[in-house]
Amino acid sequence: MTDDSTPTDRDAQTADVPAHWNHTRRMTDGGQPAEQGRDGVLIGNQADEEAVLDRGPFERWASKAIKNPERAYKSMFYTATIFFLLTTLFPFYWLLMVALTPEGRQQDIILTPNGFNPGAFIEVFEVLPFHWYMFNSFVIATASTIIVLVIGSLAGYAFGRLNFRGKLPLMLLVLVISFFPPAAFFIPLNDLFNTSFFALEPITGDGTLYNTPGAMVLPLSAIFMPLAIFILTTFYAQIPDGLEDAARVEGTTRLGALFRVIIPLSAPGVATAGVLTFIAVYNEFFFSFLMTDGQPENWAPLLEGILGYQGQYEVLYHLMAASSIIGVIPVAILVIVAQEKIVSGLTAGALKE
Amino acid sequence: MARVRLENVTKRYEDVTAVDDVSLDIEDGEFVTFVGPSGCGKSTTMETVAGLTKPTEGRVYIGDDDVTTLAPKDRGVAMVFQNIALFPHMDVYDNISFGLRLRTYDDAEIERRVEQAADIVQLEGMLDRMPGEMSGGQQQRVGIARAIVRNPDVFLMDEPLANLDAKLRVHMRTELQRLHRELETTIIYVTHDQAEAMTMSNRIAVLNEGRLQQIAPPLVCYNEPTNLFVAGFIGSPSMNFAEGTLVETGLETRNFDIEFDPAQLQGVTVGDDITLGIRPEDVHLRKNADSLAAQTAPIDAQTDVLEPMGDEVFVYLLLSEAETGSMEQDPASSPNQLLMSVTPDTAIEAEEDVDVVLDRSKIHLFDTASGDALLHGLVERSEREPGTTPTEADS
Repeated sequence: MTDDSTPTDRDAQTADVPAHWNHTRRMTDGGQPAEQGRDGVLIGNQADEEAVLDRGPFERWASKAIKNPERAYKSMFYTATIFFLLTTLFPFYWLLMVALTPEGRQQDIILTPNGFNPGAFIEVFEVLPFHWYMFNSFVIATASTIIVLVIGSLAGYAFGRLNFRGKLPLMLLVLVISFFPPAAFFIPLNDLFNTSFFALEPITGDGTLYNTPGAMVLPLSAIFMPLAIFILTTFYAQIPDGLEDAARVEGTTRLGALFRVIIPLSAPGVATAGVLTFIAVYNEFFFSFLMTDGQPENWAPLLEGILGYQGQYEVLYHLMAASSIIGVIPVAILVIVAQEKIVSGLTAGALKE
Repeated sequence: MARVRLENVTKRYEDVTAVDDVSLDIEDGEFVTFVGPSGCGKSTTMETVAGLTKPTEGRVYIGDDDVTTLAPKDRGVAMVFQNIALFPHMDVYDNISFGLRLRTYDDAEIERRVEQAADIVQLEGMLDRMPGEMSGGQQQRVGIARAIVRNPDVFLMDEPLANLDAKLRVHMRTELQRLHRELETTIIYVTHDQAEAMTMSNRIAVLNEGRLQQIAPPLVCYNEPTNLFVAGFIGSPSMNFAEGTLVETGLETRNFDIEFDPAQLQGVTVGDDITLGIRPEDVHLRKNADSLAAQTAPIDAQTDVLEPMGDEVFVYLLLSEAETGSMEQDPASSPNQLLMSVTPDTAIEAEEDVDVVLDRSKIHLFDTASGDALLHGLVERSEREPGTTPTEADS
């Protein structure tokens, strides 16, 4: 090993070399095993002072990130966000481009529409009564949400606030049923809904539920109920017993306490369950597609409307795209509004205890 | 306004008996406090009155009505909760008027009564605040206003002052007494703090392990406890106990003897284990005890620790030389320790040998086996004077 205190020519020479040459020098040294030890010391000495100079931009960034992990988290956050936004929003952008491109020119759309035809957004309502399909979807989704919230609240109250025998098995049963594939229910349900019941005749005319909102509301409420029950159970269980006791002593029944105190205080949970159910029903494909004959007057939902632009001999892609965008807008608005509600509920819901 | 009657109320949970055969009768307009250690069943007993808990056995009457199976809302009771339990999503006005709005009152009447209630608890000008914006004392006043606004027959208070700081607690104590005087409503008050029980109530119901131990005016509970539990629970610091044996000449304990005629005691015979109880203020230094009408023979003791409280000084006395004070044992139950309370001007120091005497008229004797009181106050027959007649416990 060469002592540092007795510099050789080579050391002196190295010292004279401009800083950006060191990289090159080290590379060449690698090919000279005999002098490696000597240079090893040399490089070791330099490393302290010139490490920053030695590194490429990525290495520099990495060393900064190690010293300051916030940077790494921030960049990870941005990467994930950009990825997420690209993968979710780009299809919508593409949909918009397809909608704006006039009929028959749908090939070769690259980022910009081939032409400009905003009239497609009006045409969708002219070709089919698309508003009627949307109305049907709204009615079905709203009815399902109301049913899910009311029944889910009662179940959530029982599961969250009462102690009774068989509570856990019952809850597990609800959970297990929610794992069944909806298709498993289809054949029996379709059979059932096509069976004529005398009691239903005054309501549906022919006594069957097929081609009525009931044929979608009933199975969809049942399918999305377990999730709502779980969300509501968690929220209702957190309301202090004292508040319910106070309400009951003040003059409500248990049910009154649920609606006057527990539900208002669980507003964020109820909003979450409601929004999730509404969106799930609104977006649902399987039962929506099969439980009606596809006619708007027979309560066919949005989905049938969008598929309605697909004829036997031609597919009106630009109208399908336009109607898809129109169909998404109400849900997007709902999510934005509900999100505000949920956040405000979370910050305002300060419970003592 | 109504009287409240519990008949053999028992509440059993799966393997725990929370309330065990409690019967009591609370007069109209009376302020009764349920007191006892944690888990003694006092809150459960109150909940059976409120209707929040259904008793497993027994009946509950409010006024002349059997309310055992009635829902809380139909019982004419109002309740103030330990955790205050204001509805956080409603402002003070809505909180107070909650019960009224559930019934058929017109708006003007509701407003009048809310304002009156707010006036009583001094909440004027705060009716539009949210509970979260108020201090603990203000919140509890809202809780009380919510309870009084409906003019309930019975007022139930479940440790309403437990979550307040010490100073506010004393203040609210007087407020509640004033409130009781103004409203003249029957009040049932639950607390584990015997100072609250002593100061506020007409009668105290002492509960332990689900059983009613004694229901009597505070001073009767203090001066004539029916058993060892009440004697030890009421009074702070707690009563001194010394276990011993009844002999021909009186009581023999490990460290001292008390002379009396065992025939005074009913239900025990010579040879039985009995326990002597004496409150700290009834233990005196011999040199200061001249004013006592009757005192026991002097007891040798050594002072251990002094606790100056300002108005009095608590002196921990060691009766046995052999055993210095062990920190593990509660001085009240340790056989070798005695707690004495003296005035602050008494000349006394730690680790000093002293002679102490007990005030014979304040000695309590209990049957060790059953815990029942045998006698309150030992007075020699010859010295017995009118007005100092000892009271039999079982009366």
